Amino acid sequence: MTPDIHPVDIVTYAVPFFILAMIWEMTWARRRAPEAYEPRDTWTSLALGLGSTVAGALTAGVVYAAAMALYQHRVATVPFAWWAWIACFVLDDFNYYWAHRTGHRIRWFWASHVNHHSSQHYNLSTALRQTWTGFVALSFVFRIWPALLGFHPAMLVTVGGVNLVYQFWIHTEAIGRMPRWFEAVFNTPSHHRVHHATNPVYLDRNYAGALIVWDRLFRTFQPELDGERIRYGIVRQLGTFGVMWSVFHEWAGMLKDFAVAPLRYKLAYLVREPGWSHDGSRDTSDRIRERWRERQDGAARAVRLD
Amino acid sequence: MKAVQALLAQPGVLLVLKTLASLVGVLLVVQLARWMNLGGDVRIRDEDHAGALADEAMCGFVPVAVGLDKARIGALVRDAQGRVMLIRRHGSHFAARLLENHAGVRLDQHFLTVATGDSRFGTVTLNLGPEAQAWAASLRRLEG
Repeated sequence: MTPDIHPVDIVTYAVPFFILAMIWEMTWARRRAPEAYEPRDTWTSLALGLGSTVAGALTAGVVYAAAMALYQHRVATVPFAWWAWIACFVLDDFNYYWAHRTGHRIRWFWASHVNHHSSQHYNLSTALRQTWTGFVALSFVFRIWPALLGFHPAMLVTVGGVNLVYQFWIHTEAIGRMPRWFEAVFNTPSHHRVHHATNPVYLDRNYAGALIVWDRLFRTFQPELDGERIRYGIVRQLGTFGVMWSVFHEWAGMLKDFAVAPLRYKLAYLVREPGWSHDGSRDTSDRIRERWRERQDGAARAVRLD
Repeated sequence: MKAVQALLAQPGVLLVLKTLASLVGVLLVVQLARWMNLGGDVRIRDEDHAGALADEAMCGFVPVAVGLDKARIGALVRDAQGRVMLIRRHGSHFAARLLENHAGVRLDQHFLTVATGDSRFGTVTLNLGPEAQAWAASLRRLEG
């Protein structure tokens, strides 16, 4: 017997809050940092957000049906108790960490996720800059498997929405650091600024959704450094505000590479890390960090010799 | 009232209405950003700034020559390996591309027009003053 329960659409309820928070942040930017917003960039981010909600609505039924199919074969039934909601949220956040980490380390998933990173700005509109192609990339697979354990899909969708709404407020430069205990446990503006940075020391760090503990646990945590000015965006900045190119540029690049690569390397262009190339002519984040470290070490040696 | 309820019950109608409402919200926020004059007017301050931008675009790119646009909205930088990078303003930030060949390079007195091969990045015309000719010659050395 499957309980007849529907998910709560938290994200739709949060939209008025999103708009009010952006207006607040723009008012802050006007006084303190006018370059924190750029109207054309804001348009691109919000158009991506709008398109993402449409794409999500069109495919939600399929994803939910897939989760329900798993739920039919569950090994237990988790009740709708308060502790189950907390357990579900923590488990979903753990899944988010791995989905997100994979989204940065496998080009197939990166082609979808790169949309969220392609702005050179970091403000609340960037939070809404979401993918249109998450369904095509199949990244939802990371989030629905707990239905097999007995978590109802309605619960999974609801806590996933809470997680998404939580992540909205951390996309800002208007907030410095939170109290130490909070920074230790939760993802914060400071931690997530690092995640959106292209500075070599920050590349591919802080994949957390709501709880930063996963990064600490799996050794991908990097604190924000006071002396390091953050640069946002992607390694090869887009250089355009075009909405469609922002959505599809990495898919186009990946498929072009796939088409022209020698046969034995074709698959690697889909499953290796972004920036990988069979002739080593491009830079991955690991190579960029390695080169940066060598320079830092060289500079340190020069200072010692002086 | 019943007619409205019947309309909303049609598949897709609610999604279309929600999308249109969201679009209005999006346009209002973007317009607000314009009214508030957000975005700033960034320029390349000097050669050191151009060098820092080049290093940001490609970690380890150390310029040995810099050609600054007179309005400081773009620059050409060359490193010791002969690689040339085009930097241009993009909103309130900068974006850069390594130039791979000299196709699309046009010289008109002090103005040098450079196409990068990336049509979305666009073609950039720099006012390099008397240095434009030397930069044009250096770009011609890139593979055709």
